[in-house]
Amino acid sequence: MTAKPMTGQSFFVLTALADGPRHGYGIVGDVADLSQGRVKLKIGSLYGVLERLTAEGLIEPDREEAHDGRLRRYYRLTRDGRGALAEEAELRAATARVVRTRLGLTGPAAAGAAG
Amino acid sequence: MSANLERRYRRVLRLLPGWYRRQWEEDMVAAFLDGWLIGDLEEDAAVLQFCRPTWAEVASVAGLAVRLHLRGPGTPRRYAWGQALRRTVLTVLLVHAVVAVNVLVLLAWSRPLAGWLHVLPSSLAVVSPPSVWPAVYYLVNAGWIVIFLTLALGQYRTARVLAALAIVPDLVALLQAQFTGIMSAPFGPWPFWVLLNLAPVLAMTAFHRDAPLAARGPWLLALPAGYLLVYGPLMVLQATGNSAWLPDFPGLCCILVSLACLVHAPRAWSRHAAGTGLWSLTLALLAGVAGAYRIATVTDYLNDPHLINVSLAELLILLAAVALIAPDAARAHSASPGPPPRPLAMDA
Repeated sequence: MTAKPMTGQSFFVLTALADGPRHGYGIVGDVADLSQGRVKLKIGSLYGVLERLTAEGLIEPDREEAHDGRLRRYYRLTRDGRGALAEEAELRAATARVVRTRLGLTGPAAAGAAG
Repeated sequence: MSANLERRYRRVLRLLPGWYRRQWEEDMVAAFLDGWLIGDLEEDAAVLQFCRPTWAEVASVAGLAVRLHLRGPGTPRRYAWGQALRRTVLTVLLVHAVVAVNVLVLLAWSRPLAGWLHVLPSSLAVVSPPSVWPAVYYLVNAGWIVIFLTLALGQYRTARVLAALAIVPDLVALLQAQFTGIMSAPFGPWPFWVLLNLAPVLAMTAFHRDAPLAARGPWLLALPAGYLLVYGPLMVLQATGNSAWLPDFPGLCCILVSLACLVHAPRAWSRHAAGTGLWSLTLALLAGVAGAYRIATVTDYLNDPHLINVSLAELLILLAAVALIAPDAARAHSASPGPPPRPLAMDA
């Protein structure tokens, strides 16, 4: 049986954690930036993704910090999470290369058109 | 004391299962409030006092709640219910698809497009009053076949959208009949619409992103097999003039579920067969639907004591058949909870 493909939301959340731990709302903001505003996670959706990624062992809690009387929990990638994200990024990059080739956006013709 | 906005959001979070809230609620509240507060004391105080969670935010929590209630991590009971519900929905859609195949076969048989076939007995001919409704009726029937196949093939979202559209014409026809007294096309009555149209469409939320894919082969095979096994004998009975033996549709549903229970019972009682509980639970749910449909339509026969007796007999047979698999279904339902969800302990 093949593994389920990674959803876009999971991909963005893992990418948001790739350069260091973040708390819930920090992830929301980073995902919005990464997707150029196309993915705006609601809190219910975010915690659905965080719960699933935690259960799959791809992320884990890092620390808690007090902020305005509330505790912010930070999350970080696990080693498995790094591996899964790298694999997914490679897959997406390979797909993107195929798309660019099929659309004629690479090679001499595209360079000529661009020039 | 918590602010109004926080209190309102916590009220929304009550939709989530208790085990999930114990683990995630404080974090969700903190992240939610982070999205509202800007660090300006005066403005933040006004936000906390007067603002409410948006509908989109409430919808995201409600969607998460549905998924979690049907699939709690490490909770076999919820998993069993989710799986049984998905199989029940697939079975109800299979019934729709089998009925639709029959309707389309009769249509083809009664029209020139299959003129090489023998002439259809008049008792089987589909009546087509001259209006747009017959076309809608056949379109909806063809739609049920597509919906069943789409769901069996794992295209959950497409199936949900198509199913939501497919139940609309029947509702319109029923409402029209309610006001004018004329039923525009041979759609089902209200109990049919509520139990076999609306309920399964609502229950299709069980086919969420995390739901395991159904075994495609057996479900796809079930469509032609179901048509031949159910409508073969019925058409023979009708074509040979033995229509008196034909049950009505609710009765047929009761008989089919009863037969399925009898076929499944030896496996459910066997000590060697494993994993039968989910099917027992599914059959129990289907028996609930068929029984409710039978009870809701008994009132059609208030002037005919014989048919009331037949309906009661169908219900008794259904009850006796379900009793055979009930212990196995109960074992699946009350499976001991599995390991608790992964604790969110921090080791740094």
